Amino acid sequence: MLRRLIIPGLAGFAAIGGLLSYTAFAEGGKSSSAIVVASNELATVLAPEELEQVGERESFISAYRRLTESQYRHAIADIFGDDIKVEARFEPERREEGLQAVGNAQLSVTTSGLEQYYSLARSISRQVVSAERETDYLPCDVTSSKDAARKCADEFVQEIGGKLYRRPLTKAERTLTLTIWDASAEGKDDYTQAFEHALTSLLISPEFLFRTEVAERVDDSDAFQLDAYSKASRLAFYLWDSPPDAELLEAAARGDLNTLDGLSVQVERLLDSPRFDLGVRAFFTDMLHFESFETLTKDTMTYPKFSQAVADSAREETLRFLIQHLVDDEGDYRDIFTTKKTVLNRTLAAVYNVPYPSREEWTTYEFDEDTERSGILTQVSFAALFSHPGSSSPTLRGKHLQEIFQCTKIPDPPADVDFSKVQAIEEGTVRERLDAHRTDPTCASCHILMDPAGLALENFDSLGQFRTLENGDPIDVSADIFGQEYSGATGVGEYMKSNPQVVSCVVQKAYAYGKGRKNDYREGQFLNSKTEEFADAGYQLKDLFRSLLTDPKFYEVEVPEGLSARTDSASLTTKAPASGGN
Amino acid sequence: MTRFNRRSLLKGALTGGTSVCLGLPLLDQWMGAHGETLSGGQPIPTRFGTYFWGLGLTDTPAGGSRWVPTKTGYDYDMMPELESFRALKDKVSVFSGFRVIGDGKPNVVHWSGHASILAGGAPDRTGEMIGPSFDNKVADAIGATTRFRKLDITPTGDPKANYSTRTGSAFATPETTPLALYTRLFGEGFQDPNDPNWAPDANIMLRKSVLSAVGEQRRALMADVGRNDQIKLDQYFTSLREIENQLAIQLERPAAAEACVIPEEIAESKKSITIDVVNKNTRIMAKLLAMGLACNQTRVFNFVHTPGTSTTYIAGEPKTYHQITHDEPTDAELGYQPETSKLAGLVMEGFGIFLEELNAIEEGNGTVLDNSLVMAFSDTGYAKIHSLENIPVFFAGKAGGRHKAGQHVRMEGEPVSRLSLTAMELAGASAGEFGVGAMKSSKLIEEVVSQGGDNAI
Amino acid sequence: MRFSLKTVAAAALVSSLGCGSAMADWHKSYVIEWYEPAHYYGTDTGIVDPGTDCPAGSNPEIDHIKVLIDAGYTEQEAEWLRDQNHPYRLPNHGSNQMAFRGEGRANVYTQPWTYPDPGLTPVSGTISQGVDLDGDKGNGFTSPDGRTGIDNEFYRTVGCWKTYRGPDRLSSGAMTFNDSMREGSWTVAIVVSGSGDDPMNDDDVKVAFYDSQDALVKDGNGEIATDYTFIVSPHKKFEAIFDAKTVDGQIISTEPMDEVWMRDPSYNRELQLLKAQVHLKMEDDGRLTGVFAGYRPWEPVYEGWVRARGTVIESLTWVNLPGVWYALKRNADYSPEGADGEKTHISFAMRVEAVEAYVMHPDADEELTQVASFKDIAVEGPERPYRSFTRDGIVPDKDGVILAGPDAPIVPPTVTREELKSRLAAQKSAASGGQ
Repeated sequence: MLRRLIIPGLAGFAAIGGLLSYTAFAEGGKSSSAIVVASNELATVLAPEELEQVGERESFISAYRRLTESQYRHAIADIFGDDIKVEARFEPERREEGLQAVGNAQLSVTTSGLEQYYSLARSISRQVVSAERETDYLPCDVTSSKDAARKCADEFVQEIGGKLYRRPLTKAERTLTLTIWDASAEGKDDYTQAFEHALTSLLISPEFLFRTEVAERVDDSDAFQLDAYSKASRLAFYLWDSPPDAELLEAAARGDLNTLDGLSVQVERLLDSPRFDLGVRAFFTDMLHFESFETLTKDTMTYPKFSQAVADSAREETLRFLIQHLVDDEGDYRDIFTTKKTVLNRTLAAVYNVPYPSREEWTTYEFDEDTERSGILTQVSFAALFSHPGSSSPTLRGKHLQEIFQCTKIPDPPADVDFSKVQAIEEGTVRERLDAHRTDPTCASCHILMDPAGLALENFDSLGQFRTLENGDPIDVSADIFGQEYSGATGVGEYMKSNPQVVSCVVQKAYAYGKGRKNDYREGQFLNSKTEEFADAGYQLKDLFRSLLTDPKFYEVEVPEGLSARTDSASLTTKAPASGGN
Repeated sequence: MTRFNRRSLLKGALTGGTSVCLGLPLLDQWMGAHGETLSGGQPIPTRFGTYFWGLGLTDTPAGGSRWVPTKTGYDYDMMPELESFRALKDKVSVFSGFRVIGDGKPNVVHWSGHASILAGGAPDRTGEMIGPSFDNKVADAIGATTRFRKLDITPTGDPKANYSTRTGSAFATPETTPLALYTRLFGEGFQDPNDPNWAPDANIMLRKSVLSAVGEQRRALMADVGRNDQIKLDQYFTSLREIENQLAIQLERPAAAEACVIPEEIAESKKSITIDVVNKNTRIMAKLLAMGLACNQTRVFNFVHTPGTSTTYIAGEPKTYHQITHDEPTDAELGYQPETSKLAGLVMEGFGIFLEELNAIEEGNGTVLDNSLVMAFSDTGYAKIHSLENIPVFFAGKAGGRHKAGQHVRMEGEPVSRLSLTAMELAGASAGEFGVGAMKSSKLIEEVVSQGGDNAI
Repeated sequence: MRFSLKTVAAAALVSSLGCGSAMADWHKSYVIEWYEPAHYYGTDTGIVDPGTDCPAGSNPEIDHIKVLIDAGYTEQEAEWLRDQNHPYRLPNHGSNQMAFRGEGRANVYTQPWTYPDPGLTPVSGTISQGVDLDGDKGNGFTSPDGRTGIDNEFYRTVGCWKTYRGPDRLSSGAMTFNDSMREGSWTVAIVVSGSGDDPMNDDDVKVAFYDSQDALVKDGNGEIATDYTFIVSPHKKFEAIFDAKTVDGQIISTEPMDEVWMRDPSYNRELQLLKAQVHLKMEDDGRLTGVFAGYRPWEPVYEGWVRARGTVIESLTWVNLPGVWYALKRNADYSPEGADGEKTHISFAMRVEAVEAYVMHPDADEELTQVASFKDIAVEGPERPYRSFTRDGIVPDKDGVILAGPDAPIVPPTVTREELKSRLAAQKSAASGGQ
């Protein structure tokens, strides 16, 4: 990870310049500056009913989105260096419409969650101002004269605050933070603690913990656009899973991000950076339900090879595999279901029961052509996450093949389902045990979507280990999927690869992931055209992301429900990052 | 809430008195009227908690049950699945026959039961309730003066195993391991109530002022946001205020608590959801919680032993409890599902262990359990068919004498919300009514509510 | 079980295609998860109980006060020296002065012959694991499975000493060293290869024991996990290759190997075996069990215990160390120079338990499918001997000072180490001043 020392006057200088000029603009009103280039390319003309809701406002918040754990960690590492310890338990995220990025839009911070953020904020602040580190961040001597120290506190608050809030601080925010500094500096001749407290307040502020997406009015028109800093955050969190870097903030300050050309330059830069891996990891961590690794356990009497190291490795394997295949090798997205290639470590090699042919910690590996391994479908991550602790589950695997990769929501089983037909048999294979799913019409209506593909993956046990027998009986891995005959995991892989729904699904997820809300049915046509572009470009992930992130639709302003019509604008004195003044 | 405001006083002393009114309820306002008094003059407070376990208890298709006593009133007969709390049966009331009335809403499996008990109405879908869970109402009423308004705990290691919500959609994050619970209760910020050398830490005042300042952004931030974001911000600022409250409490000399003995530090425990490990962690965490209660760290808690679709299992068995409840055929001779009933018994052992630990700490003339009301319930009645009828509910502890404990009350078809209403009453957080639609309830279950001191501990 | 490069499934596939006869080369590979001197515990209960091997049970605790008195110390001196607070005694390290009980207060650890043989009760049973090393069915023990002529004088000598005695995997010595190996201190990988059609019955088989730098890994139940990969680490000494055949899955040496070396699970660390043989079995569950055997030099065994802290070994393992020296010397039954001279080696067997593993060629990129020697390309080894902090079997204090010695005044425990130090310094300067 990058560790950037922030020494005023050197590395951070350009960014400060950008932030300061923006602040001046924000405080002076939009007429006093021409920094923001109004452009209709990325603006949305609001409908009359929306305009009525917005009223006289010059800006409003279209969404608050809580930072994910990895975004938080990346932010701290980017701003203060990756040697800062971030030791806390983050609140769980919420999954909706198949994505945490969507579910998290509903999330706030509960008391125990905020306690964690608070204790983290204190710990980070203490580390930042500690004697070993203070020279990296504090632009002055903490024991200098009070006037000098306060001036330096002001600079500190503006620079670090700007990085944390991902936009320049408003005057009110600066003042408020300095008030905290003042209270802690009172009667002291060492101002370390004052800096610590000021930083703590920035770190627990909702402006840091949530991504604020601000819509601003374009000139005097009825058009609104996502303000440039909100766009910068969307880009950076999407492609890097991290806050915007100095260059992106400068581009925002210059107004570059309000033009398609300026936006494209930045998208390209972010896509080409090695940090793009972080963005890919975050997207698939969300899409593949990898939060479930937190609670993954296996019965070690049945699966002795399972350990926390195996769980951690399995997660890492799939993410490394996806980066290798989709980014480094510029592979076809559809091949993730069929390829014999993966990325292994010694631990996983033991689970896959293959020799580990390297001294490195991780290595690319290709399974023999005659094995049944078939891309992500037979990786430990998928096989193990969607199984029970003591046995595999064709139903869980089938359900998640549908939901994760085909965007088909499987309804919950009816409450009054007659389970007496599903008999507990300790002998034979699961196929016989699930017979009722097929023969009972109530069950069959949903299970026809899940069980056939799930049963075809049965040669892989709850830990993803290959087997051909269950309870001593040979496992039948044939499958009839919508009238087509397939066999085993490789068969399911072929089915997935040739299934157009698999392609359109990843496009839908990539879009909703960035927007942080579920897709609207009216966006169907747009998504279809993006799916076609994706196909035309050879199913390249980078092309998909580029095409979405350079599309004005991605930045379309939406008026949130319940934005009450009002005329009072007093609050804008503290909330004016994009308002252009009162 | 603004007439007398401790927070603004403290804050005024610090910063020159900007008036922001995020009031704290008065200290001692909620001291239970029925509470017992210790020698020091401090009454022993009543505590309230919920105890949840997944997958209900076993009924028999022929109409019998493995858990409903045949006898009602005091001295009910101990059924096989109640065995775990036999020793404490005089402190446990059993409620049978209560149900969820859906008002046309679907049975959201493994969710409708407890969502109705907690929020007073049937939910529309899993992961959401129709409003705040009532433990929060109790916490606001009796928990405001302790360091933690409430604690959420689960021995499963699963951070999603909790059903306490202020919004109906965002759920509190529980402490998921014994070590995490220990650290939260007795780690940084803990003040020994019996420390004779107690002195307020000047730094806390400064730290509190930092939070106050952040809180001042509230009004500004709330102005230009949609409804959903308002709710989110509201929750954020509520949380902020609670942490301020925790700090404020640290500025005051803690009331002495005779029964409080700071437990020894504990080690991280094994991550597993086998029933033996879950019950082992239940014991350690119940012990910690009981001491946390005795040390006045909180008065309200939610304990989720196993979640709704409980995936706990017996080590070495291929199937989870949830699978077994559905898969296992009813044994023709026995008339019930033997393996399911066995697992139900093992899961209920957790409840027995939990009560045992609360009962182990002596306090006043009784125990912590005697001064508590633990409302225990599940997501479902008979799990095999996801039944929303005959959902098992227990009230344990005497609520400082308010609860006429040790009875079996059977009310066929009554809504579960009546039990929630009664629990609030016994906890000292009276509400005139609770629930919506067909589950709107304003009648207490009088059988278990003491009108005087006739069931004193 | 693993054949060739393929997994079980692949192997099954091959045979199902009727290609069994095409399988020319085969190999199986393992990693040792436990090995210990092959001893027979002659009862079903306990770990020190009387049994057919040692009818009086494991050798009893020794009265070290009596040992000191017998060596010429007064009763009071002996009691002082055994006192926990005695200045010659470091915390947990026993009384250093115990070493000086030979003739003229010589150090018995380095000069055991200065001390009369105190004896060491030998095994009196007739059953032992091991191999018939000398080809004489008429001498030695009978194996638990009925083979006669088993040569294992090492077992006869030390088999009743509690360090070595106990049921499989439960003697205190084996537990100590295997725990260390299982936590990753060293690794021994095994490759068995042949070229016949039937691995279970093949006349031309080689078995190799290799050093590997890859640590053992424990599974979810704390046992050594199967199927991990271990890269052969070429070692100048630790590489033992045996010529053998397989008979119904048993691997039996076809001729003794003149000299092999292995990592010993002991304080010696180095195990030289002359006329070495294997008798192993490829079990149906995939494990490899059995023994390897040969004549090992006996003196390093004794020196290993001395170096390990003679005083502590004597106190904790209930042994009078010179007795071990005399007993090994007495029972030594082989000498490379011929049968007439002083015997330098003693017959010995090691019981091995190994689990399936992948063993890689030193290049790390492919499996080692045929046993080969890599000594020529070794840069490592021989293994550094155990670097003990002891000197001559006794423990210096943190400043490197040993107060005990042949001339040390024997003082009561009320004298502090500091007092004693200054007294000894004065004694020394007086002695040198006198000259």
